Amino acid sequence: MAYILFTLSVLLVMGFVGFSSKPSPIYGGLALTVSGVVGCVIVLNCGGGYMGLMMFLVYLGGMMVVFGYTTAMAIEEYPETWGSGLEVLGGLLVGLMMEVMLVLWVLSLNEAVVVVVGFSDTGDWVIFEGEGSGLIRGDSIGAGALYDYGRWLVVVAGWTLFVGVYVVIEIVRGN
Amino acid sequence: MTPTHMNIMLAFTISLLGMLTYRSHLVASLLCLEGMMMSLFIMATLIASNTHFPLVNIMPIILLVFAACETAVGLALLISISNTYGLDYVHNLNLLQC
Repeated sequence: MAYILFTLSVLLVMGFVGFSSKPSPIYGGLALTVSGVVGCVIVLNCGGGYMGLMMFLVYLGGMMVVFGYTTAMAIEEYPETWGSGLEVLGGLLVGLMMEVMLVLWVLSLNEAVVVVVGFSDTGDWVIFEGEGSGLIRGDSIGAGALYDYGRWLVVVAGWTLFVGVYVVIEIVRGN
Repeated sequence: MTPTHMNIMLAFTISLLGMLTYRSHLVASLLCLEGMMMSLFIMATLIASNTHFPLVNIMPIILLVFAACETAVGLALLISISNTYGLDYVHNLNLLQC
């Protein structure tokens, strides 16, 4: 339980290897949904309840559903899963092996891993609740500030979404 | 930076590699693009929580908005390819082949 955040991030990498090894897209969508659930639990573990639930709603509930039925339109008769064919299975096994060896190496070190930034082993993150104001959650306050300090950004994003829908209609129209 | 951040950056890199390699379907590359957006969202939310700077939470929300736009346009292109060729195989896109 002490290393729950690190374990979840390892599971996230394994889920990402699952759809990056390019099986048939319906199985890739399944792996992306599972990775999304793991990522949402990572965000929840760091005290971000609002952001995690927003990822569930907008990302998994909106975009993955659209991906699901768009993939159902463009699917072949026998979709290849991770076990059928050597390319997908080989990519999956190479990715999993890489992640396991990296995790074992990082956990066996005592000093920091320095790639570009120093990844020091400072352990997991414990939520520190200060006294007083325990009802004000940080992430929902930050998201609410979008409509206060970022009024113009909301207008631009809304207009972008509207123009995006128009672009989609024009593309799908064809001729 | 903790090893958790290293894992999330590694997830981004794995998705990037998956997007740049084509097998047979085009929608698999779009899925890897979605994975990249998701790992960026998780990374930005973790940094906003770790540094106790709630205003940074605006950035992942706006990132999600524009990722949704991008998904919509990508899927619209996929639909138009699928209407022309029947499936979204990458080897069908050979108009520029010499």
